[in-house]
Amino acid sequence: MTDTHTRQLSIWNFGVAFSAFLIAAFMGFYQVVERSGIFPALESAKVYFASVSSHGVLMAYVLTTFFIMGFGYYTAATALQRPIWKPVLAWAGFGLSLFGTVLAAIPLLTGKASVLYTFYPPIQASSLFYIGVALLVAGSWVWCVIMIVMTHQWQKENPGRPIPLAMFGTAANVFLWLWTSAGVGMEVLFQLIPWSLGWRDTVDPGLARTLFVWTLHPIVYFWLIPAYIAMYCFVPRAAGGYLFSDEMARFAFLGLLVFSLPIGFHHLYMDPEQAAGWKLLHGILTFMVAVPTLITGFTVFASLEIASRLNGGRGLLGWIGRLAWGNPMVLAAVLALLMLILGGFGGIVNASYALNAMVHNTAWVPGHFHLIFAGTTVIMYFAIAYHLWPRLTGKALCNNNLALIQLWTWFVGMTLLSTPWHVLGLLGQPRRISSVTYHSLLTLAWQPYELFMIMGGALLLGSAVLFGYILLKSLRNPSPQVDLEPNYADPIHPPRDMPAWVENMKIWNVIVAGFMLVSFGIPILQFFFLKTYDSVPWGY
Amino acid sequence: MHIDPLEKKWIYIVLGMTALFLGGIFFTTFVFDIHPPSNVETIDSARLHLSEEFAEDNLGVKRQPDGTIKVIMVAGRYGFFPRRITLPADTPITFRWASIDVLHGVHMPMTNMSTMVVPGYVSEITTEFPKPGDYPMLCNEYCGLGHDFMWSKVTVEEKQAWMRRHPNFGGGES
Amino acid sequence: MRKILAIALCLGAGAVSAAPATQVAWTAETLDLVASGDSERGEQLATACSSCHGTDGISLNPAFPSLAGQLPTYLYRQLRDYKDGSRENPLMQNFASGLSDQDMADLAAWYSRQKPSVGPQADSERFEAITALVRRGDSKRIIPPCRVCHGENGQGERIDTPRIAGLSQTYLEQTLQAYGDGSRHNDIYGRMRLIAKQLTAEEIRLLSEYYATLQP
Repeated sequence: MTDTHTRQLSIWNFGVAFSAFLIAAFMGFYQVVERSGIFPALESAKVYFASVSSHGVLMAYVLTTFFIMGFGYYTAATALQRPIWKPVLAWAGFGLSLFGTVLAAIPLLTGKASVLYTFYPPIQASSLFYIGVALLVAGSWVWCVIMIVMTHQWQKENPGRPIPLAMFGTAANVFLWLWTSAGVGMEVLFQLIPWSLGWRDTVDPGLARTLFVWTLHPIVYFWLIPAYIAMYCFVPRAAGGYLFSDEMARFAFLGLLVFSLPIGFHHLYMDPEQAAGWKLLHGILTFMVAVPTLITGFTVFASLEIASRLNGGRGLLGWIGRLAWGNPMVLAAVLALLMLILGGFGGIVNASYALNAMVHNTAWVPGHFHLIFAGTTVIMYFAIAYHLWPRLTGKALCNNNLALIQLWTWFVGMTLLSTPWHVLGLLGQPRRISSVTYHSLLTLAWQPYELFMIMGGALLLGSAVLFGYILLKSLRNPSPQVDLEPNYADPIHPPRDMPAWVENMKIWNVIVAGFMLVSFGIPILQFFFLKTYDSVPWGY
Repeated sequence: MHIDPLEKKWIYIVLGMTALFLGGIFFTTFVFDIHPPSNVETIDSARLHLSEEFAEDNLGVKRQPDGTIKVIMVAGRYGFFPRRITLPADTPITFRWASIDVLHGVHMPMTNMSTMVVPGYVSEITTEFPKPGDYPMLCNEYCGLGHDFMWSKVTVEEKQAWMRRHPNFGGGES
Repeated sequence: MRKILAIALCLGAGAVSAAPATQVAWTAETLDLVASGDSERGEQLATACSSCHGTDGISLNPAFPSLAGQLPTYLYRQLRDYKDGSRENPLMQNFASGLSDQDMADLAAWYSRQKPSVGPQADSERFEAITALVRRGDSKRIIPPCRVCHGENGQGERIDTPRIAGLSQTYLEQTLQAYGDGSRHNDIYGRMRLIAKQLTAEEIRLLSEYYATLQP
């Protein structure tokens, strides 16, 4: 049972998130077709790069931020069983983020911000774009404040009790996001906005890149944590069982908070402006962030196995057949973890200090992050939507089988899209090209893979449209949702005697601050001591 | 707190795996001395064409007095300059890169000649090419609407043949 | 600015190699100088140029370029290049030698604010062969397409890639030929020379006609 404010906040945030997703899905399909070179009439670098920039911003910033805010409001209200703190503030934050999105969309869609979602100074976009993105992030900070206050109030009223797991994960994500967004926040506020408004003549691309990678890696975990929350808190119950370990889930969230932040330099391995020692340090820490993910995989699979065996599953692998494959949440979790394993393998290659040179900025990289983000993360967003939409709107899901088809087509489509991408990367295809124009024997070998990517793209677009259709159709479903309660899974062993330091976010924030000071302190300060030469703005 | 014994085992396995991966990285880093390009050297990209090292006539393949080979190249929209170079195989070659405008990346597919070229900084990378042949040299970082068209050609020749063909570079040990 | 120039010249003299393509560097100071151009003063100065470049910057003689609507940065650099000898033309070098940096910025400001010339409309079928080069370049010769630097409509691009749409066919042809044989060499790192020297006479003719008649 949730109050109107919570439901409306979640519905509206999801609405914006998934509208952005659908627009971006069409762009994604256009992009695979355009870059294949099979349809010369479509070829236009101008449209292509406007589309790539919009696709990236819509998927990575708009879909995620709004979805996470909507999910957070629902989690806070239901897991803590209290109304949203200051709903007016929450709506103001939503409005600010939406206003920022619209502001950024204007230059993006008119080709005046074709700088990709990674900004890339000294190519300069319209100042509206940078201001819009800054407002989108500022709106999400309002959400952060509300989440922190609600958790704090709950803790005061429930001394000694562990924070409900779903909220524990959300709180970790809130602090992760506050830390994460500080990097790009500084870049946009102190460098890009003054520069694009003409208040400053030049920008230092080295400093801008360093600040951007501060954000670039942990932001992936900001997007991923809601998927993990669903895996821990919804999946075991949906499968008909229990969560294998509540405690390890907490350590996984804390591990992500601590280790995803000081590792961004693996994106800068090939950059000249940072020294080898710092890169190696970040590289070592990068491997540490694999630990919480491997723990999550283990716990979720263990929970699934327990559920299956309770359901009569037998044998070493026989239990897999008895899983609740007909439940969208269970199906999505299995498919998400499959893609996470493959994507994680690619990530290990990217993160390797020496191996990275072979794949840096090749098609391997979008292949990798489409598996992890568009695969693992977004497929869990679908499952969460299927789970929550009926509970928010009061209307039952229109058709469970359609939802299953949608999840399977998304999985197959993403496999068809990202496998050729990985191969193309190994064959040296650069990322972010709108056509293949190089005249060499090597590039001829790329052609057949582009065809597979078109098939994958078409399937993904179909799947995305089906997703939108299911949500809209469910809105008009005459049969009401019977079960309106949130379905949080119970752990096998309820968390008891949780040491106070686990729940004390102050301690973890101090630890993060320490890590950040060590890993980013001197690398950022160096730009103020080095004799650097800043860049003037360029067009494109 | 309750941690399942199975879960404890798994954590040990995970930590073991992490240690193995890191061991591999330390091995290539400290035994083979393989590092990514990281020389933190600044340069004024706006005045690059007026500088001594990156002057138009100074670009290209150079044999240093100590016998090593240096390649000085410039990245700018939309090309790498000079457009075509020929290099010997099995020889340590040091590339020095600078950008005249925006961010670029340069990669020779199937090799580890890869570096970002960031305006305001010099990128330096030393590598060897074991396999003779024609290689494209591609820009792999978005640099504007002509990004797809930014490339040049590198020919890697057998070392002896290269030495014969480039007598100006000749002499010294081969 | 002069100090920088002096240092650059000293460096140039010290080196054995030939002089750089241009002495102009697109630093913040140079861009500020161009941006500070006084259009009204530029208009007065431009009276001296009008006999060749037209009263409103649209040249009546096809051998001389129209300057109306050209990028101010490009105009400024050409004047500086004439003065420094980086671009050779006795008439223009003579004119430019008497101009100060501020004069050049003023002139650039005025001309850049005039309405650009639009050439006569031409039969688009004739351009089928050449639009491939404009749109896709030629990968065999490593020639990037014209549009990626000069803009989709030949309007030019920041910082100093010039507008070429609407210039006279004669001037465009002369320019490409001059880049091709190296008699014009004020393009940094030979970017235009490398392209132009690979173009056939027919391609140069068609490209020039294409851009001369390109409608905005």
